[in-house]
Amino acid sequence: MIEQIRNQARKLLEDGDVDVVIGYAEGSDPSRTTPVFIRKAKDVDKLIYDPRCINSLPLYLNKRHEYTRKGWKKTAIIGKGCDIRAIVQLIAENQLKRDEIYILGVPCEGQVSHPEKWDGSLHDGNRATKCIGCDVMTPHETDFFPGTKPDVDRSSPYEVTSPKVANLMELELDKRFAFWRTDFDRCFKCYACREVCPHCSCNVCITDETTPSWIDPAAHKKGVFSWHLTRAMHLVGRCTGCGECTRACPMDIQVDLFNQRMKEVVQESYSYKPGYSLEDKHPLITYQVDDREDFIK
Amino acid sequence: MKTATLNKSDIGKCIDLLLQSDLRVIAPRLIPRLDEDGTDSIDVLTFTEVDSGDDHQVGEGLLPLNGVKEFLFAKHEPLFAYEKRGKKIEIIPVHHEYPQTVIIGVRPCDAASIASLESVFSDANAGFEDPFFTERRSRTTFVTYSCTAPDASCFCTSVNLAPDSAKGSDLHLTELGDGRLHVEVLTEAGEAVANKLETLLEGEGDQAAREKAGATVHEKLTRLRNSAPIMDWLMDTANFDDEMWERLGEKCIGCGACTFVCPTCHCFDIVDENKGSKGYRIKFWDSCQFDHFTLHASGHNPRDWQFKRYRNRFNCKFKIYPEKFETPGCVGCGRCIRACPVNLDITEYMAEVAHKAANPNAMKADPDFE
Repeated sequence: MIEQIRNQARKLLEDGDVDVVIGYAEGSDPSRTTPVFIRKAKDVDKLIYDPRCINSLPLYLNKRHEYTRKGWKKTAIIGKGCDIRAIVQLIAENQLKRDEIYILGVPCEGQVSHPEKWDGSLHDGNRATKCIGCDVMTPHETDFFPGTKPDVDRSSPYEVTSPKVANLMELELDKRFAFWRTDFDRCFKCYACREVCPHCSCNVCITDETTPSWIDPAAHKKGVFSWHLTRAMHLVGRCTGCGECTRACPMDIQVDLFNQRMKEVVQESYSYKPGYSLEDKHPLITYQVDDREDFIK
Repeated sequence: MKTATLNKSDIGKCIDLLLQSDLRVIAPRLIPRLDEDGTDSIDVLTFTEVDSGDDHQVGEGLLPLNGVKEFLFAKHEPLFAYEKRGKKIEIIPVHHEYPQTVIIGVRPCDAASIASLESVFSDANAGFEDPFFTERRSRTTFVTYSCTAPDASCFCTSVNLAPDSAKGSDLHLTELGDGRLHVEVLTEAGEAVANKLETLLEGEGDQAAREKAGATVHEKLTRLRNSAPIMDWLMDTANFDDEMWERLGEKCIGCGACTFVCPTCHCFDIVDENKGSKGYRIKFWDSCQFDHFTLHASGHNPRDWQFKRYRNRFNCKFKIYPEKFETPGCVGCGRCIRACPVNLDITEYMAEVAHKAANPNAMKADPDFE
């Protein structure tokens, strides 16, 4: 399969159809992979694809990386289904034009949650929970797909509820709060959760604003809670569930639980899942007469 | 130097004895998790305060996610309080607690990082002293523990350290392989702790077995880089603008994870947290990887793009630190490698720079790069 991807990448670069191919290469130790920017056809053999490729590459399509992307008129990118959801969302938010991007879609069986858990194969003991119940294992929006793309029914309005979110929602309010207090105690506000997110694209993040300072920058309880809750709210209806925020957290705080819960709220209220169709209208920026309004009090 | 042996199974008792002496004890502990967290969970170690000898992971696992730096250089702390009265502003001192503390189970890399922090926060030569840091430092004793199982990200031997190094330690423990620990009392503070553990310490240590145990672990470290040529190359200011930097830093996403988990990164910011006419001036951790880190009031930023910020971090460790303090700014703990979401590996950077130093016209990862 990777040979087909490499051949297509080679062709695209040789023909001058794209300036670069963003993909995965072997990392610095055998359990890790790393994003790679292939600029020359002869380098396409560096491209790899297997269950260690959990990174969400569309991050590099975000305008925050405009310096890296300078001079690239057209970019090819290797995309798993979840990554392509992020690309579709970037296009929907006018962060990207569809014709600037060439999507090399790859089928996905799931990804390994942590390099520490890589033992040569993917199984129930190391599969990332975001991959359970995934309906884009065969990617939806592609320009190239190795082999024949099977038809997949993606009509279900709901994604699978995360078992972790379900666990948390079952807890009494004070216990749920205690859970976050314990976890947030470790947060030192490195903002890896923000920087790794394909959808954080504000020119100045609200937490970096100083006149006035909306969110205390220090990592005390107030500063940490106000940061994470604001981050979660800013991604409502936009988060495509790649789980990168939790993966990138160096203190292993499961910040994506907020996003997953908000995703459920949006689905319940508007039957809307972001990142599936270029034609979708966003529930939070559009109005329809039958929109839910019982929460307006 | 005084030596002794201690049964590894008695470490819990040691912690209890220290707690009974009204000391604050910090040790590696496992984070409590939600039940049935799913496969996304891994056992996570952090240095936290312990309240009983039953709950600790001293000598288990490799490195806690946080280093020991937060116990000397607080994540956030008020410098003073202020209150505006009419046209006058009153400065109100804030009382800080500096409890007598023992941090136990510190790995040699983390222990070595304390000297790097001291260079910045209590530099006698520069005539500067951060009272918050020095007060905590003077009340903290480090009981260190030689490594037994370094992982693929460890590279302490590349920065002149060793998995059994006792640098920065007050009391150093090394597993002898038979359930016993070799105990080395290295400072007065270490002796004070050893005295409290008197009932558990036995006879003399076994220096030969300790050396042998250390050497065995040494061989497990495979990531070997020679940092000397790197430092020489960086000292040549012409290389600061080498085109290689841009290519090396292009995949960096600018999160501050590497700097926050780094035991020697020490940058901080200061902000006034205001409420009405009063508030606190707070000192808190900052990171050179943030896009507003050196943003000038004029709008100009000398590190306007991410590769320049990563270049700064690398230079800080291997040029600025050795130049200013004659001590490296990196202890090879590998936390930045483990934490990096895009696998930007500092030892690969070291290899690229070393390669460039040896072959001025080449770049290892991309031989065609000009």
